[in-house]
Amino acid sequence: MLRKLLITLCLSAALCCVAAGVERPVNSSWGLALGSAHTIDTYLTPLRYSGWGAELTYRRAQAMKFNPERWSQNVDFGLAFDSMENPARNASMYYAGFDASYAMLWRTSLPWGVTAGIGPHLRGDIGVIYLARNGNNPASVKASVTAGARGYLQRRFTLGRMPVTLRWQSELPVTGAFFSPQYDELYYEIYLGNHSGLAHAAWWGNFFRWDNQVTADLHFSPNALRVGFCQTLLSTKVNNITSRQWGFAFILGVTNDWLTVTPGRAPSAENRKIIFAY
Amino acid sequence: MRLLRFLPLLFAVVLASCHEVKEYDATPRQTFEQLWTILDEHYCFFREKGVDWEEVHSRYAPMVADRMTSRELFDVMARMLDELRDGHTNLSASFCTSYYRRWWADYPENFDWRLVQENYLNFNYISSAGIDYAVLTSNIGYIRYSSFSSPVGEGNLDAALSYLAPCDGLIIDVRSNSGGSMTYVETIARRFITDRTLAYSICHKTGPEHDAFSDPYPVYFNPAPEGRVMWDKPVVVLCNRGTFSAGNIFVSVMKSLPGVTVAGATTGGGSGMPFNSELTCGWGVRFSASPLYDADGRLTEFGVEPTEGCAVDLDPEAALAGRDTMIDFAVGLLGGNPQP
Repeated sequence: MLRKLLITLCLSAALCCVAAGVERPVNSSWGLALGSAHTIDTYLTPLRYSGWGAELTYRRAQAMKFNPERWSQNVDFGLAFDSMENPARNASMYYAGFDASYAMLWRTSLPWGVTAGIGPHLRGDIGVIYLARNGNNPASVKASVTAGARGYLQRRFTLGRMPVTLRWQSELPVTGAFFSPQYDELYYEIYLGNHSGLAHAAWWGNFFRWDNQVTADLHFSPNALRVGFCQTLLSTKVNNITSRQWGFAFILGVTNDWLTVTPGRAPSAENRKIIFAY
Repeated sequence: MRLLRFLPLLFAVVLASCHEVKEYDATPRQTFEQLWTILDEHYCFFREKGVDWEEVHSRYAPMVADRMTSRELFDVMARMLDELRDGHTNLSASFCTSYYRRWWADYPENFDWRLVQENYLNFNYISSAGIDYAVLTSNIGYIRYSSFSSPVGEGNLDAALSYLAPCDGLIIDVRSNSGGSMTYVETIARRFITDRTLAYSICHKTGPEHDAFSDPYPVYFNPAPEGRVMWDKPVVVLCNRGTFSAGNIFVSVMKSLPGVTVAGATTGGGSGMPFNSELTCGWGVRFSASPLYDADGRLTEFGVEPTEGCAVDLDPEAALAGRDTMIDFAVGLLGGNPQP
């Protein structure tokens, strides 16, 4: 099943590359999410650390060549940083991470002007939690590659004279692989060469991630101001180590709609008509 | 609206997928239970030390009351940790850090750096990156390495071993070296090997049960890279009870090498690589979690004994006369005249 999914995604990506010279609507956005961050990682500490988290994101959605009315591809990148303290506020924990994802979304129209999209996505994450007070176990590396589903509901309306796009998006990895040291295994031992038991197949029983975001795009010509709210949750339990990272954040960003064009060839009227808000 | 019927199922999945972590509050009783549980789930030497941790709980738990002060609670918990007889196990608060000191306090000091400097080095020795070295009067090289926390580089070792190359033998004095980084154990030891050599093995706990351990993972040292200065003459490693942790591992590695003799007193042990954790009240705790074994698969938590026939102490009366009987013994082993 996973193999079929990967083959489909690879073929689709190849088609996209072939179609790179053809004009297609693109929605790109830069955003900054700022809010609360919470972490428990029993490899480092049994305590819950809380503080603030920030993530800089770049998202690019583009209609696909083979069926631009129905399908879009989405490429997202994120750079996150969290700064937290323990309950006694005498120790600090930091998280820095990078994520990248690719999704193909199939779009359909629902009643009341709602647009819905759903499709598979691949996501890669790498990051590290650092707890300054620990000696031999100061850090916990977080790395995963997952495949799952992404979906959204979207509705356009006007607020006064301003067009607004209200959107809820949810992302739920289903399977994949992730890294975890063994229970009390030092990274020093891993460095020495003991690599057994570090990679784990992910399923909801040992790896659960669920990200949601609600945004409103306030359109000014091709540009829009994005405001919104997001929630992230990652909970893992493997090798008797439980790790949970979650947070809530406000989003502020700018989006831009544009067309990719082939030099020397004017955009077709048909493609101009495709309003493919990511 | 049909989708709404699936919402309870979705929330059930989310709740089931958020893996539980038991959390404690900062009251004395909860703090005590939290510390006891951390050690119960992570400490690695219960069996080897014959410690019945449940029994320890039953003795100490009644001493904890919710109305006791922080210092009173700290004292009770520190005494509980002392039951482990482990120099790598500490409780840290802002006002105190507990140490189990009897692993060295019940033994002779067997080292006086002033005595060595004054009577053997004449205060005339080279210091570089944590190592002090000189040539003793009977043409025996002497290296003092006081802490494995002091970074020592390949260039520093090249300089020292080149300087001492004309000597007939070498004393490496790691008495009262209480450890530091394992990296420097390898950096130094690989100057004394010619082939890939099994140095030690390491394992770790795989779960909270007292007997849940991984298979030991063998760790090999390779000789220093070509072009580095090597040492192939006889070596005596001098150690005492204060040789601990990485110092203890260094002695166990060197003892397994041909041409190396370990002299002095049994080392202090400390072969469990320590982990850190913490309590809700903000106190930190450190404990042994990852045992190391020597090249023969023996646990060295209780120390490394000198080579047979090479146990020697510092004679206090001789020390008053300016003699370090342990260095004299080492010089004798290397064919030098102990008292020129």
